[in-house]
Amino acid sequence: MRPSPSGRLEMARAGAWVGAAALRSLLRPGLRLSAAIAWQRAQAARYLSARAERTMLGRIIRVDHAGEYGANRIYAGQMAVLGGGPVGPVIQQMWDQEKQHLEKFNELIVDHRVRPTLLMPFWNVAGFVLGAGTALLGKEGAMACTVAVEESISQHYNNQIRMLMEEDPERHKELLAVLKKFRDEEMEHHDTGLAHDAEMAPAYSLLKNIIQAGCKAAIYISERI
Amino acid sequence: MAALWRCGLQRGLRIATALSCGGIRRGLRTSAYLRMVGVDQQPGQYHHTSQTYTAAQESSSSCHSEQHGEKAEGFESEEELRQQLLSAALEFVPHFGWSMEAIAEGAKVLDLSPAVTGMFSHGPGDLVLHFVCQCNKQLSGQLTEQHQQVQTGQQEAKKTDRFVKDAVEARLRMVIPYIDTWPQAMSILLLPQNITESLSSLMNIVDEVWYYAGDRSTDSNWYTKRAILAGIYNSTELVLLQDTSPGYEETWNFLKNRVNDAVNMAQSVKQVGSTGKALFQGFVGAAVTLKNLSGVAQNR
Repeated sequence: MRPSPSGRLEMARAGAWVGAAALRSLLRPGLRLSAAIAWQRAQAARYLSARAERTMLGRIIRVDHAGEYGANRIYAGQMAVLGGGPVGPVIQQMWDQEKQHLEKFNELIVDHRVRPTLLMPFWNVAGFVLGAGTALLGKEGAMACTVAVEESISQHYNNQIRMLMEEDPERHKELLAVLKKFRDEEMEHHDTGLAHDAEMAPAYSLLKNIIQAGCKAAIYISERI
Repeated sequence: MAALWRCGLQRGLRIATALSCGGIRRGLRTSAYLRMVGVDQQPGQYHHTSQTYTAAQESSSSCHSEQHGEKAEGFESEEELRQQLLSAALEFVPHFGWSMEAIAEGAKVLDLSPAVTGMFSHGPGDLVLHFVCQCNKQLSGQLTEQHQQVQTGQQEAKKTDRFVKDAVEARLRMVIPYIDTWPQAMSILLLPQNITESLSSLMNIVDEVWYYAGDRSTDSNWYTKRAILAGIYNSTELVLLQDTSPGYEETWNFLKNRVNDAVNMAQSVKQVGSTGKALFQGFVGAAVTLKNLSGVAQNR
């Protein structure tokens, strides 16, 4: 009988319960050993039902799409304030890479028939306000915002990569390659931000913590809504 | 000895899965029922689905599980039993309505005890949802086929409004054989215990139609388009229920008018947008001219 698509966790738990009960009732050590081996094999042959996998992929792609869109708007806000200044080309270059990321996720959304997050208009405004607001604190403020956001995003990509590797690295090969490449580029942006005196921003650690808390909340919401 | 023990373990695992996943009552009932009927169970296989995901794969209907492996005699799984039973019950719906009696009649056709209706915790809602899911799958199949024919050049691509109208008409025509009892079905779908599933099946319909109509939007347009189409679909369904014209002509005309309204509204929104921009630029120009004429804030 096929387990219903409500999660392999329940299946594993049920398997553990039955396996433990069966083991306890056995007297012969040889049978106990083969029981343990059989149970381990059942655990290893776990899989996600198509529906659970679709939900997981949907969440991943939706939240990443929202994140790249937000990052685009943040850089747009920063350029609006600091575009003419000396740090303009640096921000422009990072913005162009983010535009490429967004294009890629637009493709993935269509390929996997994922619905985009409902809060797109909100991230549009919030991202621009965040970028412009931190840029008004000066070039160091803008770089501090970049550092905070990129660190948050890199951690988030790492979590997703870990999740997909746990599931089935072969099956999700393309998505994993995309996530790894984007994670590396976000780390580059993070390092660029640090190199341009992000740490000299006013109230750097407070600013960084607030922005990262906001990012975590945004990620949580965009995964679901 | 080891084989016997292995068989027992797998059976126990299956029943334990049913116990933990589907509710204790359902699992106990299934195992008791299967023993009572004397169905020969095949050891279940834990398949590793190795299919890669491609664009526009099977619809995301929530009520069908995927059928893998070979069909054994009898029912290989509880899921398959439910599907066959509900499909058999659909024949009796025109006579018995969407009710447990129809499911009981379906059970008799399959040589099962009528007591098997206890398997459906949502009552007639399960039957209606099964029918709706079947229709959605059929629609999805038709749209995929059309899409493929357009891709290979056997058919010309339709314009968006024509395509949407045809797709909604095709989906509503599937309801026509059951139209006498459809008001009962619609009210069953609105019950609180069925509302989530019925909403997700509606989402499935509008998403499929828009995807094959060529919508590739990835922002809030995704939501507006689908909301509008859901509104059109629901209102047309209601019109269909009390339509007495031959061949349901009135309904299809109503549908065509609603789709045209929606398309016109989208176009006029665009026009308003561009007109608004032009007006705004006109005002800015006028303000600058006035400023220069009046000599305010000139740097001499």
